Formats: sequence, C-alpha cells, structure tokens
Amino acid sequence: MDMAFIIETVVKIVVILLVFSALAGFGTYFERKVLAFMQRRLGPMHVGPYGLLQIAADGIKLFTKEDIIPQNVVKPIFQIAPVITAATAFMAAAAIPFMPSFTIGDYTVHPIVADINIGILYILGVMGAGLYGPLLGGLASANKWSLISTARAAAIFISYEVITGLSILAPLMMVGSLSLIDFNTYQAGGIGNWIVWSQPVAFILFVIAGFAETGRTPFHLVANDHEIIDGFGTEYSGMRWGLFFIGEYANMFFISFVTAILFLGGYGDGSLLGALGLLLKVSFLFFFFLWTRAAWPDVRPDQLMWLCWKVLMPIAVINIVITGIVMMV
Amino acid sequence: MEQHITITIDGREIQTQEGEFILNAARANGIFIPAICYLTRCSPTLACRICLVEADGKQVYACNAKAKAGMNVVTTTENILTERRAIMEVYDVNHPLECGVCDQSGECELQNYTLEIGVDSQSYSIKDTHKPAQDWGLIHYDPALCIVCERCVTVCKDMIGDAALKTVARGSDAIHGEYKANMPKDAYAMWNKLNKSLIGPSEGDVLDCTNCGECTAVCPVGALVSSDFQYRSNAWELRSIPATCAHCSAGCQLMYDVKHTSISNSDEMIYRVKNEWNYVSLCGAGRYGFDFENRVAGKDEAAFASALKAFKKADTIRFTSTITNEEALILRELKRLHGYKLINPEAKALQDFLGAYGTVSGQKLYRGDLKKVHESDFVVSIGSALKTDNPNARFAMNNAITMNKGAGLYFHPMSDPVIDGMSKNVLSIVHAPLMEEAALYLMLDLFAPKAQLPKAIADYLAGFHSTKTVTIEESVKEDVIEKVMVKKLNEATGVEEEVEEEKKKSVTKKVSKEVEVDENALLKLLSAPENFKESLDKLLAKKERFSLMVGPDLYTHPNSKNLARLCALVEKHTPFELVMIPSLSNSLGVALICPLDDAAGSYAIGYNTQGDFILSALGSGDLDMPSLNQQEGTLTSIDKRVNPTNAALAYHGYELNDIANALGLNAHYTIDYTPRLGEVEGYLALSFDALPNHFTNSGEEVRGYLLESLTCKAEGEEVAPIRLEAMEGPMLYLANPVLHFSPFTNAAHQLKSSGALYASDAFMQRYGVQEGDTVQITTPHGTLRVAVARDGKIEGEIPYLPTFDTNLNSEALFNGYRFSTASFQKV
Amino acid sequence: MHTHDTHEQHGHGESELGNRYISEHYYYVDIAPYPTTPWGKFSRALKRTLRGELFVGLWVVLREMFKFDIHTVQYPKEKLLVGPRYRAVHAMQRLFESGTERCIGCGLCEKICISNCIRMETRLDEKSRKEVSEYTINLGRCIFCGYCAEVCPELAIVHGPRYENVSEQRAHYIDYAGMLTPIDMAISGEQKEFDGFGAVTPHEDARVKQTPLAY
Ligand code: SF4
Ligand code: SF4
Ligand code: SF4
Ligand code: SF4
Ligand code: SF4
Ligand code: FES
Repeated sequence: MDMAFIIETVVKIVVILLVFSALAGFGTYFERKVLAFMQRRLGPMHVGPYGLLQIAADGIKLFTKEDIIPQNVVKPIFQIAPVITAATAFMAAAAIPFMPSFTIGDYTVHPIVADINIGILYILGVMGAGLYGPLLGGLASANKWSLISTARAAAIFISYEVITGLSILAPLMMVGSLSLIDFNTYQAGGIGNWIVWSQPVAFILFVIAGFAETGRTPFHLVANDHEIIDGFGTEYSGMRWGLFFIGEYANMFFISFVTAILFLGGYGDGSLLGALGLLLKVSFLFFFFLWTRAAWPDVRPDQLMWLCWKVLMPIAVINIVITGIVMMV
Repeated sequence: MEQHITITIDGREIQTQEGEFILNAARANGIFIPAICYLTRCSPTLACRICLVEADGKQVYACNAKAKAGMNVVTTTENILTERRAIMEVYDVNHPLECGVCDQSGECELQNYTLEIGVDSQSYSIKDTHKPAQDWGLIHYDPALCIVCERCVTVCKDMIGDAALKTVARGSDAIHGEYKANMPKDAYAMWNKLNKSLIGPSEGDVLDCTNCGECTAVCPVGALVSSDFQYRSNAWELRSIPATCAHCSAGCQLMYDVKHTSISNSDEMIYRVKNEWNYVSLCGAGRYGFDFENRVAGKDEAAFASALKAFKKADTIRFTSTITNEEALILRELKRLHGYKLINPEAKALQDFLGAYGTVSGQKLYRGDLKKVHESDFVVSIGSALKTDNPNARFAMNNAITMNKGAGLYFHPMSDPVIDGMSKNVLSIVHAPLMEEAALYLMLDLFAPKAQLPKAIADYLAGFHSTKTVTIEESVKEDVIEKVMVKKLNEATGVEEEVEEEKKKSVTKKVSKEVEVDENALLKLLSAPENFKESLDKLLAKKERFSLMVGPDLYTHPNSKNLARLCALVEKHTPFELVMIPSLSNSLGVALICPLDDAAGSYAIGYNTQGDFILSALGSGDLDMPSLNQQEGTLTSIDKRVNPTNAALAYHGYELNDIANALGLNAHYTIDYTPRLGEVEGYLALSFDALPNHFTNSGEEVRGYLLESLTCKAEGEEVAPIRLEAMEGPMLYLANPVLHFSPFTNAAHQLKSSGALYASDAFMQRYGVQEGDTVQITTPHGTLRVAVARDGKIEGEIPYLPTFDTNLNSEALFNGYRFSTASFQKV
Repeated sequence: MHTHDTHEQHGHGESELGNRYISEHYYYVDIAPYPTTPWGKFSRALKRTLRGELFVGLWVVLREMFKFDIHTVQYPKEKLLVGPRYRAVHAMQRLFESGTERCIGCGLCEKICISNCIRMETRLDEKSRKEVSEYTINLGRCIFCGYCAEVCPELAIVHGPRYENVSEQRAHYIDYAGMLTPIDMAISGEQKEFDGFGAVTPHEDARVKQTPLAY
C-alpha cells in the first residue's frame, strides 16, 4: 500500500466522521423544524437566528452534562453500548460510495473508503451488528423500561434483517454483484434504468425495513416515549446518550444513501449533476423519514411482527421467485 | 382523714372527698362544667357565675359549693343554659374584635366559651369607655380585653402573696334599667359587677411586685400578657416542650414554647414559657429567664482536645449545682475512675447538713415537702430569704396561710415586707445572724413536749426560763346604762317626737395588776417583739398541720452540724413536717449522688465556675457545654422528686458525656445514665423515656418519681448548747435579688442586669447613698467596689450582694456563712 | 364524518348526568367490529393498505407545512392575555385612601396553608400595634389552592393575575415588599379588587346577624 492511499483513506474517514456527525446534528435541527412546521409550530427559535445555533447549544449541553452511571448497572457494558451503536453506523459508511470519483491534480479520489466487492453484505452485516448497542445498553441498565426496549429491539432488528436481505436479493440477482459501485454503474443510464422501476416491490419492502432498522416512526417502538420512556436510553445521560442519538441519525443518512444507490440510480453517470442528484435523493429520503413521523402513528409491537412475518416476508419471497422467473425467461 | 364519698353528676356516680368543690370533683372525673374565674388552689371569687349547676334541685356555683355524700348534681338545665348564654353575651359586649392580632387568640377562654356556648347574636349593649393600655414593665395590661374575672387578683393574693393587683373603678355608665328587669339573674349580677370594675395595681400607677408573671399566665384573655412576647407569634405556631425549670430547687414543671427564629433562620428559639397554672406557679425567673441557652456553631475539636489534655492533667473538678443528676453521676464515675476531687461548696454544705441531720433522725432526707406546706396551717421558716431562695416555698407558705386560715413565723435577719404583707398572721422575728440555733431551740421549747425530749435538752431549755413579776395595765370592760333623748318618728302620727331611751354602753377602764410571767431568754436572744407570747398564742389558735422550712443560712452556718441535729429533733419531737430548701437547682441531687470533697487539688477543671480549664454552658469557658434547656436529663427537686427535663433547643457541640466517653466511660447519650441512677441510694433504675412529666385533671403531679425513703443509722440525740454570740454591727448578706438565681438567669435577655449592692431605703439613708452610687465594701475577707441598687422589697439595714453576676466575685467577701460583718464607704 | 346523531346511537343507556359534560359538537369515531376470521383480517389489512390513508396523512401535514399557518406564541416576547378570573401569584392589598397595609398579621393564612409554605414575622411597632415585619410565600411549594386568600379576614392576601414563576432555585420565594401594592397605586385607587375567593360576597350584609349598636 502506498503512502498516498493511506493518507487518502484517513482523510476520507475523518471527513466522513466529521461530516456525518455534523449532519446528525443538522438532522435534529431539520427534524424539529420540519415537524414543527407540519404541526403549525415554529420549532427552535431562540438560540441564534431562527434557532440555528440550537445544534451548538445541544452539543455543548451534551458534552458538558454529567455522565451519570447509575448504581446497579453493569458498568463496562453500560459504558460501551452507545459506542457500539455509533461505531457500527459509521463503519457501515465505509462501503458506501458517496460521490462519483473525481481528480485533484492528477490524483483520482474515490469517495468511498473501501470499495469491497461484497459492499452490500458488509453494510448489512455491520448494520446488523449495530443491534448490540440497544441490546447491551438496555440489558445493562438495570431498568425495566430499558429491558422491554431491549426485547423489542432484538425482535424487530432480527425480523427486519430478513426483510432487508430478501428485498435486495432480487435487485442483486439483476445486477449480479455485491458492490455498490456496480449497482451505480448498472443504473448509470438515466432515470429509466433505475432499479426502482424494475423492482418496485423490493424498493417498498426495503424502505419499510429501513424504517424498522432505524427505529423511526411508525416503528418507533424501541424507545417509545409514552410507554417505555426512552427505552434503552432511559438511564443514559450526557454524551453517552448523545452517541446513541448520533448513531440513530447517522444510520438514517446511510440508509438513505444506500436506498438511493440501490434503487434510485445513485450518482448516475458520475457527472456533477449526478452527484447533486444523489444528494437530492438522499435529502428527500431523509425528509421522508421526518415527514412520516409527523403524519403517521406508531404501530404496536405485535402488529410489527405480524407485518414482518405474515406480509412482508411472503411478498419478498414471491418477489424473488418472480424476479427469478422473469430473468430465466 | 379524708372521707371518700359518692356523688352523682349528670347521672354518673363519682368518688370524691367530703368538702371538695363540685367543680374539682367533676374535673377530676373528666366531666366538663364551664368555669372561668375559678383557680384551683385559690379561693373562689364568684366573678363569672358561669359554673352554675343544680345540686339537689338548687342552683349553686360549682366552684364554690362543696360536695356532700349522695349529692345529685345536674350540670345543665334550661335555666342554666339561658344564664350561661347570657353571661357569654355579656362578656362579648364591647369586647374588641381583635382576635386577629391578640396574643391569646387560639388559647383564649373567651373565644372558646363563646364558641362552646354558641353565641351568635348579641342582646345587650352599653356605651364603651376609653381604656388605654398600660405598660407595666415585664407585663402589659390591655383593659379593653379584660373580662374582670379577677383571676389575676386572686392568684396574686392567694398564691403569690404580693397582692399587687386589685379591682379599680371602670367609670362606666349604669346598665340600662330594662336589662335588670328582663335579663337572666346571674348574668345581670355578673354584668353589674363587671361593669363597675377593671384591674389596676394595688398601689400607685405602675405595678410594683415580685414580677412572677403568674397573673399573665392565669389571664384567660389577652388582657395581661408578657411585654416581651407581645405580637411575636401566634400561639398555634409554637411547639411546647415539657421541661423542668432549671433555676431553683423547686423544680417547677414548665413548657418551653419554641418556633423557628425567623423566616430566614430555621433554628428554633424559645419564645415564651408556659405553665399549668392550676397546679404549679412559676416565679419570674422561670417565666422570663428562658433563653439562657448556649448556642455554638458546631463541635470545636481543638477545644475538645485541649479539654482532654486538661482532664489528664487535672486532679480536681469544681462545679455548680446547675447540672442534671446524670451529669452528677458522670462526675461520680469520673472520680471513681480517675480519682478527681469533686468540689462544690454549696452542695457540700447541704450534704454535710443532711449527714448530720441523719445522725439524729435516722433518715437521710427530711420528711416534708412543699405540697405538705401548701396543706398546712402553721408554717415556720428559719434561715432562708424565702422570697428569693425559693419563690415556690414562699408561694406555699402564702397559700397555706391565706387558704387554710393559717399563720406563720418567719425567722430571718433581714425583714421582708413581702413576707409581712402576706397576712397579718405572719410574725417576723428579725434576729441577729448566727442566732439560728436559738430559733431552733425556741421551736423545741415551744412545741416539743418536754417529757419526750432527752433530759439534757429539757434541762437546757428550762434554763432559759425565769419568772418575773410585772405590773401590767389591763383594760376591763364595764357596762353602764345611760339615758338619752332621741328624736324618733312616731309611726302612728307621722310626727317626729323626742323620746327618752335607755342605752347600754360599754366603757373600758384601765386597771393595774401585778402578775407573774414566764420570761424566756431565748426570745431575747432572738430579739423577738415584746408581745411575742401573746401574738403566738393568737396565731396558734385552732392550728392542726405544721410545717417548718429551713434554708441555706443553716447549711453554711459555722455550727451547721448542730443546727442539723436540732432540725432533726424538731422534726422528731414536734408536729412539724420539715422541709430543707436546697440552695440551687440540683443541690439536692448533687448532694445525694456525688461524693464531694472539701479541699481542692492543684489543677482544677471548672464546670460553670472558676478553674484552670473551664467548661461552660455560659459560653465564656474554654469548652462550651449545653445549658439545661439544651439537655435531657433529670433534676432532683425540693420535693424529693426526680423530675425529667427535655432539650428545648438543639445543641451542636460537645457535652460532658463526650468527655466522659473519651476518659474511659461508655454511654451513647447522657440519658443512658438515667437508669444507672438506680445505683445511688434512693433513686430508681428507670429509663429516661419511662419518666412522665405532666399533671392530671385532678391536679395530681405525674412527674418522674419520688426518692424512696432513705434510712441511715441514728446515733443519739445530743446537741450542743448555743455558744456563738450574735453577729453585730453593719452586716452584709449573700443573696440574689428577685428574678435571679445564678449566672444563667442573667443570660436571659429579659432579666439581664449587672449585679449591685442591693439595699433598702433605710440603708441608703443611713449611708447617704443614692441608687447608682458606688460604695466600697470591706469585710474581714476582702473588699469590693460596687454600685448601689435600691431594693424596695427589703427592710432593715442589711444590704446584700448577688451571685448571678459573674463580674462580681461576691463569694470572696464571705467565709462560707451567708452573713458577714462589713463596713461600707461611699466613694 | 359523523354528526352527533351517531353519538346518540352510541350513547345509549347513558344517563342525563353522564352526558352532561359532553359537548354537543363531539362525535364518536365509527369503530367497525373486529374481524374474527382469517379472511376478514386479511381483507381488512388489504383494504387499509390500499385505501391510501397513509398518504392522506402525509398530504395533510405537507399541506400544513406549505401553508405555514403558524400558531406559536413566542413567549416571553409575546404573551397571551390571561382570563379575568385567573388567580395565581399572591398579592398583598392595601386599604384604599389611607394606603395602610391590610394584613394585620393574624397568621390564619400561615396556619391554613396546606403546603406549609407561608412564613411570617410580626412584632410590636412604635404605635403599639401588631406589625408584619416580613412575610414570605415559597412559590416552589405553593399549590395555589387559594385557602390563604379565603381565610384572610382582612381581604389582604389575594391571588393576582401574575403567573410567571420561573426561578433558578427550586424554592422560589416572594417577600412582603414584592407582594404589597405600591403605596401610590393604592392611594390613587389603581389597586384592583378581586372577586371570588377571599372577597366579600355581595349578600354579606344580610347574612351578618344584627347586633345592637346603640352607641
Ligand atoms: S382576648 Fe380572646 S376574644 Fe378577645 S381579642 Fe383576644 S383572642 Fe379574641
Ligand atoms: S386581667 Fe385577665 S385575669 Fe385579670 S381580671 Fe382581667 S381578664 Fe381576668
Ligand atoms: S406578676 Fe406576680 S406578683 Fe406581680 S402582680 Fe402578677 S401575680 Fe402578682
Ligand atoms: S394558595 Fe394554598 S398552598 Fe399557596 S400559599 Fe395559599 S394556602 Fe398555601
Ligand atoms: S390571613 Fe390575612 S390578615 Fe391574617 S396574616 Fe394572613 S394575610 Fe395577614
Ligand atoms: S368559676 Fe364559679 S363563679 Fe366563676
């Protein structure tokens, strides 16, 4: 490995960490604003113009707040759990091509940390490992709400891993590669080539599973405030709680990227326009996360399970079979 | 003696004694009869008339009618209810509607009875008079609130003995004639009296008395209140802590009323003192000297360490008797462990006195108590400035004399107008100091059957007697018949005529007569008045129950041991019940518990007194100690009762128990020693929490426990003859003024004053000094310069120096005995 | 949409009393019977999925966002008017004309306060009258029950319209000076008298029994 590659990789890692941490922050701001507007409110208004510095205020608060470790928790596990959530979220980012490659001078930069040929498997795997954050955090908290939340998290994540996996199986079959860059290239031909058109069912299943994986409304059961307080986060304070939070928002962004790349053509032909297009698509998907939160109610845990195993899973399997048949024919 | 009888009240059969007032019988059995003016232990005044009941079909006043066997009492009839309602309406006529600011509100009997009787409209009216409030120093009188129940007048006369209050004219209009015709009878009679009177000082414009404040305690309304407490707090905000007064040996039960100091300061402070005035009367020191606490911020570890060092070094502990029995026991234990000498001259004097007394009587303690004094009808006091040494002993004497048609003798070198003022049946014998022995011999001579006395004593007494022939002038009454002309109205004619009438007239003639009289040299020794014998005969008429109180003058007397034996003889051979007045709060307890020493060693710890290292509850020592209102524990009273007292205020510093624990003893709390008092003869092994501290409705004193009788070996009845000469020339006495007992009374903000030479008008005249002048006092033992203060409550030429002011080392001028010859020079 | 006729149907058996608090504009949501057969359940799920209710929801919120019809009141920059009968933070009244403090220090408010949050200090003033030297209410503990105002015999303590209780301390006190009507306002008659708790009822005169006041 040459020096330039190492420097490039480190720079990319740092940029991703910084950009997505910041984005998580802005994400909260946008979420509050969007939700507020949809609910005829103003949202944050006091810190900075239009409440823009609210993120800074929150950041300062999170960083300076006392890190309380309650008495009966399992201390090391309790402490490590939020790190798992945040870390797995960022690790998943390693296989995502955020932009087309570009050149600085005569050096070509690939805006992907590691273009591994099993990118999708890797992302699915790492995101699956993210389950350990809520799972361990909730178990270690010595809190009944956290425990319930853990139970829910385990059930939901494991169930929806299945949907995620099955739903992208059909597109995978079509593309014939596990690399996201190949996916992008596959759809480079323009809007008409987007996989969403050929695999609408897979797309919908994937988005639903994405909601479940990120624990967003209408599947916000893991930390459903009105029944189990903040779920696995109940006992957390300060920056540890903040890590859970960053993890959740980073996850939302990455899922949006993955969705955009898998189904909505990614950055297309690699031109500037394509890059902007990708950002636009991601933004819309992110906005969609917020939008649903304003519009939809939460479902019950049993309904969620029902939906997964009795509705989505069969549909996904049928979709694969049909895709297979179509490809064969 | 007392006959138990059964009476019926409202259908309930109750037991009581023959001659008990119906009201008291009812109260003792928990039956409610409204009553305003009656005070238990005092004479009924019949001012309120609300206690009306029907006894055997006749309306009587329950506070005044005596129970007879088989009596049937009904407390409410229609007529009685009408009367009561009218009485309460009358009390409410023109009564200012100022409960909102009144100090009595919440514990006001007028409020209570108005509500109880259900007065919700007013049928009577009269023009109000202008009655401005009066400030009497410690006491504030608001005549507008006064309902003229006369409880204050009664208590002052029948219990306290000052008789400093009386009823004065109100200057009101006459009650409208229409009311007389239509109103319920008793209500009208009560109103008629009320409408004519108010309360005022007996003499002058401003109250001049011994300031006991008992009148403010008994006042059912807010008319008489403490000036200091006025408008400071509502009664219901205060929390009452039952305790025992820390100032003198009477050990009165009282309540410290505490509340947070202010809005910003949540530490509690004592706002006032309350007492069960029906059963116990406080003196001014107890009532106003309540805030003598020692406030410390916390534990002063450095001072504690140096205290321990001092204790390691010390061989002597000096202390005063303002400590609890438990602390006395700690001192005893410390002596046992470390061999400290315990020095407390005043308790030691009592201890020796009791010891000598026991050698004759076979008892470690006297037989009587103040309750017996209250019940007696002939009271003698020897060797005590009664008014100030133990106010409650004075109240007892006064109460006995006024309530039981009693009489008394008061032997003391200082004549006391307050004692003389109790009754004309009190005879004061102003003898010279050192002549107390003669007084006790006189008691034997007068009251002991000679045959019963040991021969030597009988002979010695006989030696004082001689016969003498004197010519006396006697008045003889003769009847003469006179004829006089009187003008008389002829009833038949209606004309006035002169008629001759015979009239009997008695004329007194003087006749000279020679008689043989018995001359008693003892009387001369005591400088008794000429007609002592005759007066005494009069005083002794129909007397049945006798009490003798002896005081600290005897314990400190150079011949105190002989005096003690004489006291024992008097108790043994005469009908007198003996009470000894301990000089300080817990002198008796200390004397019984601590093995005291005569001579001090080289390095002394001083506890509330002088020493090389001082522990002090006065806040002036090297290590702070809690004062008695910050401590739990027990105190032994004059009545031989072990009374519990509670901590009214928190104390954050070290206490004697902490020192004791560091020195090898082991107790978590000081009161862990309370059951261990059982190790001391006479005391019981009861835990502190098992000790009650209250009175029952029948007036029974349920407090702590009584010392069990303590017997010892009697050794014979020999006493020494009088050998000492009377002290002559100008003299000085060691006593405290009214309201003071010790530096602790002087720590109270209402009583704080600086000590002076307290002198009568006669003394001031003789030496040409004014109040405030400085005099130089020289006694054989030292000199002192001090200001003069007038004391209007003493007579004669003996002034006294106090012990309450730590700035004056008065004791240094005396040699133990409370009197000393002295010369005075104005400077 | 259902009118309140539906409510009539659903409200069968409810007594008059039970209906008393239900506004006439309320209506009951029509809840269809729960499907019991598997087919019923399936078809319900299908119906719900295809009816697009989810999209209606999305549309509604999106519409509101673009309408930008914001209802937020930007407290503390803007404040809503409180109702005329609103009673919160206490005020101490003065007598009209003379401006003398009405509170006589009777301590009834202190006594009755169920959260024990009133403390006062009184003393004898130079005119030999009872004077309230300090008076505080711990607003952190006050539950605004109004007992103090109701018990006050002088109509001195009242609940005023002030509702702002923010404090950096859990225990937040107001003191006497903070509660008293400024004297100039009392004299100029700007002091407000409050109806309700702690005020004289209009028919009070009739209720007081007549007493003979011949003088
Ligand atoms: S004396 Fe009693 S009735 Fe009279 S104002 Fe005081 S509390 Fe009220
Ligand atoms: S001052 Fe008090 S105790 Fe004395 S007569 Fe008046 S009301 Fe009775
Ligand atoms: S204070 Fe005591 S001595 Fe003085 S008037 Fe009152 S009761 Fe009598
Ligand atoms: S409103 Fe109620 S809780 Fe508040 S101060 Fe008044 S009485 Fe106390
Ligand atoms: S109830 Fe009224 S008059 Fe009495 S203390 Fe309270 S505010 Fe003052
Ligand atoms: S109590 Fe009997 S007359 Fe007053």
